[in-house]
Amino acid sequence: MATERYSFSLTTFSPSGKLVQIEYALAAVAAGAPAVGIKAKDGVVLATEKKHKSILVEEHSIIKVEMITDHIGMVYSGMGPDYRLLVRQARKVAQQYFRTYLETIPTTQLVQRLAAIMQEYTQSGGVRPFGVSLLICGWDTDRPYLFQCDPSGAYFPWKATAMGKNFINGKTFLEKRYNEDLELDDAVHTAILTLKESFEGQMSSDNIEIGICNAKGFRRLTPAEVQDYLANIA
Amino acid sequence: MARGTSAGFDRHITIFSPEGRLYQVEYAFKAINQGGLTSVSCKGEDTAVCVTQRKVPDKLLDPSTVTHMHQLTQNVGCVMTGMQSDSRYQVMVAQSEANNFKYRYGYDMPINVLCRRIADINQVYTQNAEMRPLGCSMILIGYDDELGPCVYKTDPAGYYCGNRACSAGVKQTEANSFLEKKYRKKTNYNHDETIQLAITCLMTVLSADFKPSEIEVGVVSKDEPKFRTLTEQEIDFHLSAIAERD
Repeated sequence: MATERYSFSLTTFSPSGKLVQIEYALAAVAAGAPAVGIKAKDGVVLATEKKHKSILVEEHSIIKVEMITDHIGMVYSGMGPDYRLLVRQARKVAQQYFRTYLETIPTTQLVQRLAAIMQEYTQSGGVRPFGVSLLICGWDTDRPYLFQCDPSGAYFPWKATAMGKNFINGKTFLEKRYNEDLELDDAVHTAILTLKESFEGQMSSDNIEIGICNAKGFRRLTPAEVQDYLANIA
Repeated sequence: MARGTSAGFDRHITIFSPEGRLYQVEYAFKAINQGGLTSVSCKGEDTAVCVTQRKVPDKLLDPSTVTHMHQLTQNVGCVMTGMQSDSRYQVMVAQSEANNFKYRYGYDMPINVLCRRIADINQVYTQNAEMRPLGCSMILIGYDDELGPCVYKTDPAGYYCGNRACSAGVKQTEANSFLEKKYRKKTNYNHDETIQLAITCLMTVLSADFKPSEIEVGVVSKDEPKFRTLTEQEIDFHLSAIAERD
């Protein structure tokens, strides 16, 4: 199916020294649905908006907050199809690590490898950068981790961050609300409030997705649990 | 932030434009309308249906060979909308993937897994410059023993999702509005109602009264999970039922 590849890179330097394809990819990310990540003392929460353009779409046929391993989860802002490819690659990377070392992959290792893949697509021949920024959360060595991976291949550890539409407002909100002593429950609460800042319409368990990661591992909250949290903020 | 013009190639290959868009993918969507056809698909309590126009442009063509519905696995079928050659290719790939899955894992590829696989392949074309996106959209219908009746749609952007009802082609927007109105009020249509809803939707948006030979209808249901296309007599039965209702 794949034919000869272009032998030259499509992402090249502009006279001012910028890689404009990456900047444009970031524009695609900034146009995507909002996603929020917050690190608490005892865990990490990832939350995202999952609005569908029509009532004809089955809300639960598509999942945005995906599990990579038992203790690592991921969410994105930007282009859905590109994200699916990265989820696939992340899972593969995690399994390959286990096969080599017979140990579950530490979050930092996964992030580094995934970011390296994203960087490859900014330099290889005939491909464009990914139009997604990833938020990766994990628990290992008895502590929580939260990382962001950009289309450029750069990755950043965060205490709390927002991506996608209105991310600047989201980050400002988090700067005010975040403190080091947050418990996971409070963090989920804060994440929902951050999403609410830019949410148009009524929030429900059908149009947001929340994942948490703690010592017990990563899991998505069930619609019933999401509903409980939403009831508390009302 | 770079505010600038593109190098001029963002309309020719799938690289980002300054606004973060992929023009080639957007053009691929327009190519779907080139065929001039519309397809509609919907599901009810225990049935999933897809309907499309059957335009035979030339009297010398053998009408029995003109079809846009294809069987992918025993219980999953699809309707293709868009450029004919790209459609044929995508069906071939889907059938191949489904068969590989059966060989490797020993059971039929579920409809959602198949749709995701096709969508992932579509995504590759949006990221690699040497291959253009395909100018066609695939709507899959199937009866899954865990999920019940299913309607899944994938498009040139590599996006896919499960639907209660969806449409593709020239009159997509009108068809979706029609279906939204219907599904707002009721979602548990029975076998005959589902089929007639899909046909009525197509008739309404195209403002046409069909003869049985002018449309194709593909059905899966709980009682008959095998994908099949209705015969002219069966289509006639439903068309009469619709006419009597109105």
